[in-house]
Amino acid sequence: MSTTTSTMTRQLRRLSRQPGTVVGLVISFIMLLIVAAPGLFTTVDPNEFDIMAVLSPPSREHWFGTDDVGRDIYSRVIYGTRVTLGIVLGSILLSALLGGILGLISGFYGKAVDMVCGRAVDVVLSFPPFILGVMITGILGPSTRNLVLALAIIYFPTFFRIARSGAMTEETKVYVEAVRSMGYPRTRILTRHVARNVFPSLAAQFMVVFPLALQIQAALSFLGLGIQPPTPDWGNILESGKNFLLGAPWMSFFPGLAILLAALATILLGRAAQRAADNQ
Amino acid sequence: MLGMLTRRVAASVVTALLASVVVFLLVRAVPGDVVQQMLGQTSDPAAEQALRLFFGMDRPVHTQYFEWLGGAVRGDLGTAWVSGRDVLDLVGGALFVTLELTFLTLILATVVGVPLGLVAGIREGKVIDSVVQSFSVIGLSTPIFWFGLLLLIGVSAVLGWSPPLSYESPVQGLGANLQVMVLPVLSLALLQAAAYAQFVRQAVISAVGEQYVVTARAKGMPERVVLFKHILRNILVQLITFGGLLLIQILGGAVVIESIFGLPGLGRLLLTSISARDYPVVQGGLLVVVLMSLLVNLVIDVLYRVIDPRLKVG
Amino acid sequence: MLAVVLASVLMLGACSSVDQGGNGSPSKDISVGPSAGESDLYGPPAENAKQGGSLTVASMTEPPSLDPYHQASDARIQFTGLMYQGLMYESASGTALPLLAEDVSVSDDGLTYTFKLREDVMFHNGDLMTSEDVKYSYDYIRDAENGSPGAGDFQSIEEIETPDDATVVLTLSQPNSALLMTLTNKYGGVIPAGYFDSPDAENQMNVESVGTGPYKLVELRKNSNLTLASHEGYWGDEGPYIDEIVFEFMPTSAAIVVALQNARVDLAVLPRIQDAEQLQGAEGIAIETFPSLNHKALDLDGNYPPLDDVRVRQAIASAIDKSVVAQAAAPGQHQVLGTITAGMQDSWGLPLEEVPFQERDVERAKELLAEAGLEDGFDIDLTIINGYDWMNPAAVVITQQLDEVGIRVKTKKVELGTWIENFQQAKMGFTMNDWGSQPDPNLLFYRHFHANPEGSDFRNWDNAEASKLLDEGIATADQEERASIYKEFQKVLGETVPTVMLYSPEYLVARSTKLENYVQHPSGWFFGLVQAYLVE
Repeated sequence: MSTTTSTMTRQLRRLSRQPGTVVGLVISFIMLLIVAAPGLFTTVDPNEFDIMAVLSPPSREHWFGTDDVGRDIYSRVIYGTRVTLGIVLGSILLSALLGGILGLISGFYGKAVDMVCGRAVDVVLSFPPFILGVMITGILGPSTRNLVLALAIIYFPTFFRIARSGAMTEETKVYVEAVRSMGYPRTRILTRHVARNVFPSLAAQFMVVFPLALQIQAALSFLGLGIQPPTPDWGNILESGKNFLLGAPWMSFFPGLAILLAALATILLGRAAQRAADNQ
Repeated sequence: MLGMLTRRVAASVVTALLASVVVFLLVRAVPGDVVQQMLGQTSDPAAEQALRLFFGMDRPVHTQYFEWLGGAVRGDLGTAWVSGRDVLDLVGGALFVTLELTFLTLILATVVGVPLGLVAGIREGKVIDSVVQSFSVIGLSTPIFWFGLLLLIGVSAVLGWSPPLSYESPVQGLGANLQVMVLPVLSLALLQAAAYAQFVRQAVISAVGEQYVVTARAKGMPERVVLFKHILRNILVQLITFGGLLLIQILGGAVVIESIFGLPGLGRLLLTSISARDYPVVQGGLLVVVLMSLLVNLVIDVLYRVIDPRLKVG
Repeated sequence: MLAVVLASVLMLGACSSVDQGGNGSPSKDISVGPSAGESDLYGPPAENAKQGGSLTVASMTEPPSLDPYHQASDARIQFTGLMYQGLMYESASGTALPLLAEDVSVSDDGLTYTFKLREDVMFHNGDLMTSEDVKYSYDYIRDAENGSPGAGDFQSIEEIETPDDATVVLTLSQPNSALLMTLTNKYGGVIPAGYFDSPDAENQMNVESVGTGPYKLVELRKNSNLTLASHEGYWGDEGPYIDEIVFEFMPTSAAIVVALQNARVDLAVLPRIQDAEQLQGAEGIAIETFPSLNHKALDLDGNYPPLDDVRVRQAIASAIDKSVVAQAAAPGQHQVLGTITAGMQDSWGLPLEEVPFQERDVERAKELLAEAGLEDGFDIDLTIINGYDWMNPAAVVITQQLDEVGIRVKTKKVELGTWIENFQQAKMGFTMNDWGSQPDPNLLFYRHFHANPEGSDFRNWDNAEASKLLDEGIATADQEERASIYKEFQKVLGETVPTVMLYSPEYLVARSTKLENYVQHPSGWFFGLVQAYLVE
């Protein structure tokens, strides 16, 4: 009994010495809560508008003020959390899944798959990431689908390479030889052992990529190439406020702050995870 | 070395070609073309057809591609459909602006970020380290466009100053040029300086533990000597590599900054041409971007191999 | 962080200065601008005009090119109207005044128009204009093979003849009472004969202008600015007074307001009333409103179920409260419409009280839907266009208003290129629209609403009675008779609802007080600059 409490207190004390991690945890926790239950944070309908109260500054009634149609910005930012974070999360997961699977296959089996994927990766990497995003959403048309597609493509190479090199290193390991000589089919080795060993690096990369993808998603929405209104999303709320910047800066200020905090939290947690991994 | 170089160049050329095919097909994958945009709601089917023939849009895709490619190799990127201007001219002019923005940003980011990273790395764990780390983390989290907008109106509200409206090249007027560039560069440089500081700090921390540093310190060398002679020289190649990566990132970030501040750069040109469906400009512009990006990567690779072995020996 | 501090300072400042008073009426610092007289070319005559100076104008739109023969966008016409001139000029009050023509006479059967041309009209390149140039220019426009978007408007011209250097005779295949208005400054103008024979001609227009207008092109810098200089050989006695005009292309309205505040810009058409509010009380800046010929509408495609049932369209018209939509989209600077644009309401418009379904009536809407067998309502997509900011708040309001009668709307945003393609193929569905025309009801209604093949009937309205009225309208010369014909047409339009015209925006113009006598033309084009002058 006493050992568990003392381990816990020890861990808590260690944590409190790293304020960054604490901040990261608190923010992440709050944001996850917002995503799970936005209703807890606001009872106002994000789409309800009131043209008698357009562009009102922050007040007790409207914590973040109202926008040009009279909608409550605080509520829109709260509901937008789910949209923005959901899109980014979904895109990176898709990217990690595709990149991871194709990378493992490439690294393990090589040959044709490797060549084709390698060329595709080269082409993707020849474009600066944001420009690639603009290209895909701008040319194919702004929509949620194209946004997810763009983000997934942008980060595909990084997951692909990690999985591929991971698979290649694993392949040469002794245990693979041993297991193969026991008669196990290669596919089973791949799925059972190699994938499991490569997974932590993929997860670590996920933490690194998240804030980057968040920034790109927000910037694309800001240019009008991301989530389309009236669905609230941090990027497009900010964009709708850019024409009212002088008279009603709160319209753009708060969604921008939200992006900053979300990115901050993931970076801090990523570092904490890195430190924990290093210490092991 | 030469063999490796030729191989890399060949690979880059192949990648560039593939990229150009992707772009070519991508722009043609969508409904709604430039002719309709040009002629507006009131147009005439006969007029449309005439314009389409003029642009060569009636020919099969692969013919169009090879014609374009043939021209591109000779340095002729065609003429813009919307304005009739020479694409190479347009892209060249816009590229100049973006390159100026990019280099000024890189310089500022280096001048600010590297020393901060060095100091933080050497004094790891001390107060200055925490300060730098906080700056770096916040800088990395801040959306550039949000910061740029706030900067623009903040400066105007507090100082009563706003940048001149059109871009003057430094050749035409250095003063005016710097005034136009100051806010955009500041907005972009924040993120990059933060990234640089973090990277340098990490590199320094790793280097500090290295044998040669321990030996140097044990020998009683003064701190400054340790820093400059050993650490900096060893991480130099990493710094340059990272600088190259930042360059590419800045290119991407330039798109948004150019839009906010109205700079006539390549990013803005791409945005306006994409929405106007002006294929020659989109193709030409993206080709240039791809070539630059591949060139930077190539140069970094070469530098890496050139600098690295020599250092290790010394 | 610096940004946070700056932002907080701003917000505190803004909290105290935002004026929430003006809902529907301009605030006390915004005045109604002066208007041009019926016979004024470009603007009211300038008293005590001073010659000289350079003016900087902010523009949110950039002309894709300066070729008036192959481009139709308003973004281009705004500027080329200063450099190229047609035979006639579209006056602010809606009549066609002689411009390059000195005199016009029409034969009794309405099929022959004789124009006596002005003498001493000099092109920007120094050549003098003759009838040959006029013939070449209009022959070029009306030949669809040349790719001019306006070719269709000139269909009724059968032949152009030049009996002598100063006379041009147009022969029509059928009477067209809108012909004079068509010969104004929207599509092209008069250029030297044979200009387009050289292969590089079109691109050349972006480098060097060849019109007869009061201003000529100095330089167009893409994504940057456009510089014009006054044409020394200009034939007019009054104006231009300003030596050089620089149009700066600005990315956001915030940038424009900031530039006005810091005196980097002398003139700008503000997109929103909130921008004007930012400038209230600013030293040296005057803000005025002007009426416009542009209008915003909701279009209903007759081939798009359930809009194919006229009762459903009527229900939609009944469910919408135009003033609320206009208030949300353009607070304080709009005029609610009936069945014609604000600029033409006085001369041609059906009085609002006579427009069917003009007032909101939720009960009536529900009844109509029930009659059509849709008591439980239905789902429908509403298309809006990327880049047209007003459509966002308008769509939000319309969605809510239609929801109250059971119509569940889902907004879809498309790119302009895609939208135009759908529009021209008459597949527009249920969409918002934003367009304007020259101030003649024929040019406003005919192409859009006449059944195929004479008109384009983009909304698949296919209404025989309306088409007949439009044919009568184009052939009738007498003003009063025309007016009553078009009023009949508007009744049919209002009754069977191919479109719901929402509002015409007012132009909100901010200018430095050193600029005098600038009257914004209702087309949105910059004609007024010709009669404006600078005082220092």
